[in-house]
Amino acid sequence: MSILYTDEQKQIGESARRFFSDSYSGADLKDLLEVPGRYDHGFWQACCDMGWTALAIPPAYGGLGLGLIEFGLVAEAAGRAVVGAPFLLTSYAAAQAILLAGDQSLCAEFLPLLASGVKIGTLAFAEGTDPIPGKLTVTLAGERISGVKRAVLGGAHADIAITLALRDGVPALVLVDLTDQAVRREVLNTYDNGRGFANITFDRAPARLLTAEDATGIAWNVLDRVAVALAAEQAGGADACMEMARDYATTRQAFGQPIGKFQAVKHRIAEMYVANQIAKANCLEAAIGFTHGSARAAPLAAAARISAIRAYDFAAREGIQTFGGIGATWESDMHLHLRRARSSAAVLGSRYLWEDRLVAALEAHA
Amino acid sequence: MSGDLLHALEDYRAAARSWLEQHAAAFGGEARRNLSEVQDLALGRRWMALKYEHGYSGISLPKHLGGVGLSQLHQAVFTQEEMAFNLPTIYFSISLGQPIPIMMHYAPEEVSKRFIIPALRGEQIWAQLFSEPAAGSDLAGVRTRALRDGDDWILSGQKLWTSWAHHADYAVIVARHDPSVPKHKGLTYFWLDMSAPGVTVRPVRLADGTRDVNEVFLDNVRIPDRQRLGKVGDGFAVAMHTMVIERYSAGADETGYGPLLDQFIALARGACLAGESSLADGRVRGRIADAYRLQQALVTMRSKAFLALANGDEPGAEGSIHKLVSARARQELAELALDLEGPAAPYDASAKPKENWVASWLAAPTGRIAGGTDEILLNIIAEKILGLPQDHRPDKGVAFDAT
Repeated sequence: MSILYTDEQKQIGESARRFFSDSYSGADLKDLLEVPGRYDHGFWQACCDMGWTALAIPPAYGGLGLGLIEFGLVAEAAGRAVVGAPFLLTSYAAAQAILLAGDQSLCAEFLPLLASGVKIGTLAFAEGTDPIPGKLTVTLAGERISGVKRAVLGGAHADIAITLALRDGVPALVLVDLTDQAVRREVLNTYDNGRGFANITFDRAPARLLTAEDATGIAWNVLDRVAVALAAEQAGGADACMEMARDYATTRQAFGQPIGKFQAVKHRIAEMYVANQIAKANCLEAAIGFTHGSARAAPLAAAARISAIRAYDFAAREGIQTFGGIGATWESDMHLHLRRARSSAAVLGSRYLWEDRLVAALEAHA
Repeated sequence: MSGDLLHALEDYRAAARSWLEQHAAAFGGEARRNLSEVQDLALGRRWMALKYEHGYSGISLPKHLGGVGLSQLHQAVFTQEEMAFNLPTIYFSISLGQPIPIMMHYAPEEVSKRFIIPALRGEQIWAQLFSEPAAGSDLAGVRTRALRDGDDWILSGQKLWTSWAHHADYAVIVARHDPSVPKHKGLTYFWLDMSAPGVTVRPVRLADGTRDVNEVFLDNVRIPDRQRLGKVGDGFAVAMHTMVIERYSAGADETGYGPLLDQFIALARGACLAGESSLADGRVRGRIADAYRLQQALVTMRSKAFLALANGDEPGAEGSIHKLVSARARQELAELALDLEGPAAPYDASAKPKENWVASWLAAPTGRIAGGTDEILLNIIAEKILGLPQDHRPDKGVAFDAT
């Protein structure tokens, strides 16, 4: 299935996979799960040293000039390991937003910081459960932003956020320094504390205008790309679940034979594989779509997101079922995937929202 | 995929589409309305001949064998575009999908050359004599006997579910030459002339009312040993090769051989649900999104497989995913279409599964059985790709005539 990847791309994927399996274990994430607001600083620094924060940023701004296809490979490897540092995704998202907004001086100022990993970025669009509010309540007056953004992914730790605010009644895309004293974070205790969710309150905080022209359109465009990167992460997690279930079913004996000999077990694992292959195919096609500027990129991104949500939920849920009781213990890594599958499904808007977006895109083309 | 190849394929798609727009209307859709099967087949043969003249038949076959010499990706692109015109190509799908590639692979070149162009032009049709009353999923259990008689073989037995055998000029067949060894080892593969003495074809009417499949009786049919494909005893391996080709053929249809998704969207737009267009209903939208994501993934996976093929790799068991996913999705979408169309859904005996939801729905159960049931495909994925242990098989290693 890797036939479409170049040797360079394959190398990126393989080195990421090796790095994560060598330097990270489920035990690390379990420590982070129980107390909100923590992350593994040393591990994050190692990710930056690997160059992954620079991957999808143009060379002019200190990046490696690669794109969503390559980033997807790293995300997939990260997903396999349920990595407790979610900033790969959020910093990627912030960088894409700055790039798409197109202000060169802001690109020059902030992209090198995101590329090196000196700054952690994130998106703070949502105010409720919709990933982009139909009606914004956060406002921008002059160069000051006020209001509350909720359940910001990585919001507990990020240094800068790209956010949406109403400016003279029109949505604007703005950049906010989250370390400013006029910004207050409320770290949330969730079922997946590895994601570092936080509510963020702006109280006349200094903000930099990225663009006020089609800010909502750009925001959706960013979310489409992030959805593909997240989908790659989810597909990686789903593959890890499937492989764990397969390995267990091959060795665990019951009724005098490996449980994987029973079709009720083996067919379920085969179904996981099918769902994962579908998710990965859609991730790749969407990434290619964005790379080549295809008009179908948006519905393909939605297809990738829906497929990845379905695949990861299924693989985590049925993976535990394959293990039986031992899979449902704290000691097993399976619940890390169960939690991550759900938090990934809930962030960026649910599957139902993306189904709707997908069909809206098809209707627009019809 | 490299940008150059993508652009080349898009150019090819545009050229194919404009050629189809120019020529297909006289052969597809309305042109087929109320035709008898004989008339439809005759129209199909003319369509195949026209495609051959214009370089759209045998697109991925090598030039020296009468093909166009492009890649399977080109073939897949053309097939995808052709699908939208509901053309009478179904009669040739088996013929060009499996027996002809198998002949190319296993018959001497001077033999296969005699047959390829007539098949591409639709002048000759090939069938595949595999399943039997007691051997479907368990294909290695076939009982049709092949008895050696000097330089000849004598075939006797009964085949079942043979598509288009009633139009076929030739067929490939798997038969048992030795029942004293375990079932997989006693099989040999041949090709034969369907007009040979002793071959009798009798149609079987399926649940959807069609008569596309047949029983084929072989009563002491004599064929020369030079019509053997592969070695004596290699019949099962050749048959499995055929199945791999079948499940990954360039003609594989991501809709599962049902109507296009655009047609479903048009139906949903016009259908009323709780006083509104059903296209506004979240459940219906969810199902459309599901069909889209599955179909897109299958197209991508097939493209990857063809690239692997172009790279010199053999297609693997991944092809099983295509049929498993597309056949199930097609059945579910057709059920939903019938919900939206109501009890008087448009349908008559001439309705075709590619353009009519009732016909698609009625044929859907066959889609999940023919060419490998869902269960067999899941077994293949579990065992061949994932390395899970084989089912308990009490007949394993036991002589066929002792089971």
